Amino acid sequence: MTRKMVLADTSKCTGCKACTVACKEWNQLPAEKTQLVKSYQSMRTFTPDTWSFVTFDENYSISQMHWLMRKAQCFHCADPACLKACTSKAISKTESGYVVIDKDLCIGCGYCAENCPFGVPKVDDQQKKAFKCTGCIDRVENNLKPMCVQTCQTGALEFGERDNLMVKAKKRLAEVKGKYPKAVLYGEKEMGGMTHSYILLDSPEAYGLPSHPVAPLALTLWKDIIRPVGTVAMGGAAAAVVFGILGNALRGNYGPPESGKGGKE
Amino acid sequence: MKVSRRNFLKLSGVSLTALATGLGLDPEIAQAKGYALKTEGSQKLPSICHFCSGGCGLLLYIKGDRLIHLAGDPDHPANEGTLCPKAASLRHVAYAQERVTKPRRRAPGSDKWEEISWEDALDKVARKIKEVRDSSWKGSEQLPDSKTGQPVSYAVNRAEGIAMLGSAEVDNEESYLLKKFSQILGTPYNEHQARI
Amino acid sequence: MTNSWTDLQNSRCFLIAGSNCAENHPIAMRWINRARDKGAKIIVVDPRFTRTASQADIFAQIRPGTDIAYLGAIIRHILVNKLYDKDYVLNYTNALYKVSKDYKFDAGLFSGFDAKGKKYSIDSWGYQLGPDNKPLKADSLEDPDTVFAKLQEHFSRYTFDKAEKITGIPAAKIKEIADTFCQAKPATILYALGMTQHTTAVQGIRSYAIIQLLLGNVGKAGGGINALRGEPNVQGSTDMANLFNSLPGYLPAPIGTDKTLRDYLVRNGSIQEKPLVALLKAWFGQSATKENDYCFNYLPKYNLSINASMVRIFDLMNKGQFKLLINIGSNSLVSIPNRQMVRSGLAKLDMLVVSDLFEIETAQFWREPGVNPAEIKTEVILLPAAFVYEKDGSLTNSGRWIQWKDAALKPLGESKPDLEVLDSLFRRVRQLYQGSTDPKDEPVLKARWDYGQEPSALKVLQEISGYDETTGKLLPTLADYLKAPAGSVSTGCWIYTGVTGNGNLAAKRKNGDPSGLGLFKDWSFAWPANIRILYNRASCDANGQPVDPERKLVWWDPAARVWSGNDGPDVVDKTKGPETPEGKLSFRMNPEGVGRLFAAKYTSGMPAAPPVDNLPAIGLRPAGLCVDGPLPEFYEPVESPTGNLLHSEVSSNPLVVIPATVPGIQKVGKPGDFPYVLTTYGVVEQFCAGGVTRNIPVLNELMPGPFAEISKNLAQKIGAQDGDTVEVASARGKLRVRCLVTDRLQTYKVNGKDTETIGIPWGWGFASLSPGPGANELTIGVLDPGAGTPEYKACLVNIRRV
Repeated sequence: MTRKMVLADTSKCTGCKACTVACKEWNQLPAEKTQLVKSYQSMRTFTPDTWSFVTFDENYSISQMHWLMRKAQCFHCADPACLKACTSKAISKTESGYVVIDKDLCIGCGYCAENCPFGVPKVDDQQKKAFKCTGCIDRVENNLKPMCVQTCQTGALEFGERDNLMVKAKKRLAEVKGKYPKAVLYGEKEMGGMTHSYILLDSPEAYGLPSHPVAPLALTLWKDIIRPVGTVAMGGAAAAVVFGILGNALRGNYGPPESGKGGKE
Repeated sequence: MKVSRRNFLKLSGVSLTALATGLGLDPEIAQAKGYALKTEGSQKLPSICHFCSGGCGLLLYIKGDRLIHLAGDPDHPANEGTLCPKAASLRHVAYAQERVTKPRRRAPGSDKWEEISWEDALDKVARKIKEVRDSSWKGSEQLPDSKTGQPVSYAVNRAEGIAMLGSAEVDNEESYLLKKFSQILGTPYNEHQARI
Repeated sequence: MTNSWTDLQNSRCFLIAGSNCAENHPIAMRWINRARDKGAKIIVVDPRFTRTASQADIFAQIRPGTDIAYLGAIIRHILVNKLYDKDYVLNYTNALYKVSKDYKFDAGLFSGFDAKGKKYSIDSWGYQLGPDNKPLKADSLEDPDTVFAKLQEHFSRYTFDKAEKITGIPAAKIKEIADTFCQAKPATILYALGMTQHTTAVQGIRSYAIIQLLLGNVGKAGGGINALRGEPNVQGSTDMANLFNSLPGYLPAPIGTDKTLRDYLVRNGSIQEKPLVALLKAWFGQSATKENDYCFNYLPKYNLSINASMVRIFDLMNKGQFKLLINIGSNSLVSIPNRQMVRSGLAKLDMLVVSDLFEIETAQFWREPGVNPAEIKTEVILLPAAFVYEKDGSLTNSGRWIQWKDAALKPLGESKPDLEVLDSLFRRVRQLYQGSTDPKDEPVLKARWDYGQEPSALKVLQEISGYDETTGKLLPTLADYLKAPAGSVSTGCWIYTGVTGNGNLAAKRKNGDPSGLGLFKDWSFAWPANIRILYNRASCDANGQPVDPERKLVWWDPAARVWSGNDGPDVVDKTKGPETPEGKLSFRMNPEGVGRLFAAKYTSGMPAAPPVDNLPAIGLRPAGLCVDGPLPEFYEPVESPTGNLLHSEVSSNPLVVIPATVPGIQKVGKPGDFPYVLTTYGVVEQFCAGGVTRNIPVLNELMPGPFAEISKNLAQKIGAQDGDTVEVASARGKLRVRCLVTDRLQTYKVNGKDTETIGIPWGWGFASLSPGPGANELTIGVLDPGAGTPEYKACLVNIRRV
C-alpha cells in the first residue's frame, strides 16, 4: 500500500469535535469525566481512552481575534521516537505510513510515552498496555477513510495519497497565507514527515506544538550510538534499565508535550 | 512492517473479545479471520438525524437486532457520509440505560414514580381527556360584534382546560395527528417549539 | 429556508447574522465552505466571536437586540447610493405602488396607534386604490407617494453613525459590511434564533427581506433568506401547525366571530376556501358536505384577544385555566424563559402527561431540588417514546425536503412511537363518547380516523398528501389538487400534496445533480410541488430568461410555450408566458404577486361593488401583515442598558406582549441594578434543552457544563479569573456557574458609554447525567407581538465572583 496522509486544514475547522466522537465510536472508547480546560476545550491531554481531541487557543491582537482550533492525535511520524524507544518491538510502521502498537507484544513499559515529543501514547496501568490513535488502520487497509476524516463535515480533514495531498497542501497554504500571514505547513518534514499533517494558521507554538520537534537526545544516543554496541554486551532487561537512566538524565531536551499548555482546572 | 490482514484487529486497539461479542462471533473464529472490520456482515439501514433541521442522512449498521455502528449516509446529498458530533453519538440512544422503557405514574403528592402498564396509562389519560373536556367545555362566548361593537354570543366549541405541547421533535405524521386530535377535541391550545 | 443546504454552495457572499451555524447547524459549513473555495466572502454579525465567526472574513460584535439599527443603515446605504437592482425592484416588488396619504411615521409610532389597546388600527397602512380596488402605481420611483419614497424617508434616519452609537459596531465596519454584501451577487442571508428571539423578531426578518428584495437576491440560486430551523422536524411541525392560530398548510385558524365558512372567507379570502374545505374533508370525510358547511362548525374557534402562544400557555396555566397538559417531545421546564412560571404552572394541573425518551426535567418538576413533592398535587404520567430510527415516518428539513425513513430498530423496551400513542388515545376517547347525542361530541364521533389496527405512518402521510374524494384515489400532484373543485378533494396539509401521489416520493433516494446547482430533485420531495428554490420566477428577466447564466433555475420556453427548468418553476400556471399577467408574477403567494418592501394592508380581488345580497364582500387573497408596522423600526429590548436614540419616548416595541397573569412573575430590571446585557445560546456539543444529549456520555465529555462568558475587562472589574465560579442575577432569578474569561467578547461603546455583554449557553437543568444551572432562570418572558417569540437573546443581569 502506498503512503497515505491526512491533511488537516485548520482554516476550515470550526472545532465541532465530531472527529473526537467518531474516534471514540469506531474504537469503542468510553467517555471520561471532564471539565473545561481553556476556551471550549474539555480534554486536557491524551489518555488510554482518548486518542483524539480538539485544542482551542484564543489569540487576540490589534482588534483581530484568531480562534485556533486543532484536532490533536498521533502524527504517525516517519521517524517515530516511540518506535525507537519501544523495548518490546511492539511498535512498528506500516507501508501506508501509520505507526501502530501491537497489543500482544506491548509490555506497558511506558518508554514510548516518555519519548514521544508530543506526549501521544498513554499507558493503561491496569492493562499494562500503551494506547494511541491507530490511524484507523483497519479501515485504511480496507480502503475506507479513517473515521475522523469520514465524519468531518466542514471539509477540514482530507485523506489521500501523501504525494498528492502534499502538493494540494502547499497550494492551499499559499491561499491561506493571504488571510493568515503566519500560516505554516506542519508535518511535511517534521519527524521525518508526518502522516497527519496540518495547515496551521499561526506558528506551531501558538498551538502548543514544538516548531522543530525532535526525538529526545537520550533516545538518539541510545538507539543510534550506544545500542549498536550495547546490545551485544547486555541482555534486554539490563538495556532497558540503562535506557531509563539515560532518559531521566537527559529529559528536558525535547519539546513540551502538547497538552501541557495553559488552562486552569 | 507490512501489515498482514490478520493483524488489523490487535493493532486497532479494540478488544478482540468485545468485538467478537458485538459481531455475534466466537472470539476464536474472529481471531482466525483477524481482518474483519467490525461492521463486516452487518445490514446497513438509512435513517434521518434527529438534531438540527439539516436532515442529514444516517446509516445504521445492524447485526442481528443490534445496532453496532452508526455513521453518515454516504448517499445522502446534503451530508455525504459526514456527521456533526451529536449525530455521530446517536448510537448511544438505542441502548442508553437512562431511556424510559416502561410507562410510569407519579401519584399526586408522591415523591416517587411507580411503573404502570400501557393499558392503565392510556386508559387513565383517555378518561382524563374526557373528564376535562366535558367539565371545561365552552360552547359559546360573548364577543364584540364586528359592526356594532356590542357583545354577541358566538359558538366557539372550546375545551378550555386541555393544552397540548408538541412537537418539533416528532415525525410529520405524529405532528399532524396531534394537531388533528387537538382540533377534534376542541382545544386550540396546541403549541410547540417553533414559537420559541 | 427559501433555498436549501446544498444551494449554499452557489452563493458569493453570506451575511450570517442571528445564526451561529457552525455551532447549531454544522452541515451548513460544508456547503458554505464549497462556496468559499470559489471565493465567496463570509460576514458574521453576532454579540460574541463564535465558532462561525472564526470562519468569517468580516466579523462585527453587536449589542444584542440592535440588529434593525445596522440593517436600517445598510438599507439607507443601498437607497442613497442606488445600489439596488432596478429591474428587479421595478418588476418584482411593490416599490412603485402608491401608499395611502394617511400613512405616517412619527416619533417611534406608525399612524393608527391605539395606546390604550396597545395595538394599531392599520387602515392607513394601505395603498391608494383605483376604482377597481387595485393599487395605484406610479410611473417612476421619484413619485413621493410610492413605497420606494416611504422607504427612503423612513430609513433616512439610519445613518452609519447613528447605527454605531446604538449597536456598538464601528460605522466604518458597518459600511464595509454593506459594501461587501451589496457588491456580491448572488448573496444570501442566514439567520436563526439570534434574530427571532427578540421583541422585534418579525421586523428584523422584514429588514432582511427588504435588503434582499432591493438587491434582487430572492428567488435565485445562492440567494434568498435562509431561516436555519432549529429542530429535527420544526419545519414539518410548523407546516402541520402545532400553533394555536393556524391550521395545517399555513391556513389561519377560525376565530369566534367566524360563524360560518363564509365569515371565515370574508376575513381570509376566497383563496382559502379550497384548502380549508380539503382539510375538513380529510378530518371529517363523508360527514363534511357543502350543505353542512363542510363541518366548519366542528372546529374550535380561538379568541382573537387572547394570544395563546407557547409562553402564554404557561401564563394561562398559572391562572388555573388548564387541568390537563399533554406534553410530547418538549422540555419546557428548561426551555421556557423565566422558567419559574413553568414550575408554578405545572403544579396547577390535575394531570401532566409527558411522552419522551428520557426522564426529562419537565416530567419530574415535582422533585426539582428545593420543591416539596408532597405539596404538588399534579398526577404525572410518563410515557416512553420510541426514537427516530425506531419508527416509520417522515421529517421535513430546513430546505423543505420531506424525507422518509423506515424503522431500522425495534423500539427499546416497551417504548412506542407517538403515532401509536395518539392513535390509541383518540380511539379510546371516541369509545368513551360512544352513544353520546351531545352536539359537542359530534366531531369526536364523526371524525375520519382510520390508520389501521396497527397505525401506519404511511397512511397518515397519504391523508396529508390528499385524496380525490370522488374516486377515493390518492391525488397525484399539487396541480391535480389545484384543478379540482372545492369539496371534491381532501388534503391534510395542502402544501404537501403529491408527496405520496405517485408512490412515496419522500422515500426517493436518487442523488444525481445534473444541473450541478445542488437541486437534487430526485432526492425525497420538497414542498410545494418539489420546488427547491422558492420564488424562482424572479431569477428570470421580464422575458422569462435567466439573468444569471451560471445559475439557471427556470425559464420560459417560447417554442414549447411552457415554463421549464432545472428546478420546478414557481409560477401560477406553467403555460402562461411572461407576456401574460400571471406570467409576470414572481411572488404568487402575495396578493400583489410581487415582493412587499412595504407590508401594506391589501386584499386582492375585492369586487368594485358590494355583493347585492348585502353581505360583506369576499376578496381573493389578503396580505400577510405585521402587527407592529409596515416597515421595520428599531426598538430597544424590553430590558436595555440605554434609551432609544431614535425616539426616547418610545423605547421598546410599543406592542410588546408581557405575559403576567400572576402579579410579580415577570419583573423587569433596571440598568442601575443590572448593568450588563445577557445573551443566551446553544453549543454544538449539546442540543436545545439537553433532554437527549445530556444523557449521552460522549457528548457530556465534550461539553461538560454551562459557563458564563465574559470579557477580560469585566473579569478584572469583578475580580474573577477563568474557571472561577460567578453568580449571575437578573430581576427574575439567579444562578452560579463557571466563568469563562475570553477575548471573544470585547467591551464596546453604546452611545459613548462602555458596555458589556455576558453570554451563557442555556440548555442545562437539574436532571440527566450532566445536570447544571439553566440560563432560563434569568431570561425574561416578554414576547414579539406578531410571532410570540420570547426575548431570550437580550435581558439585563448583574454578575459577581463568589
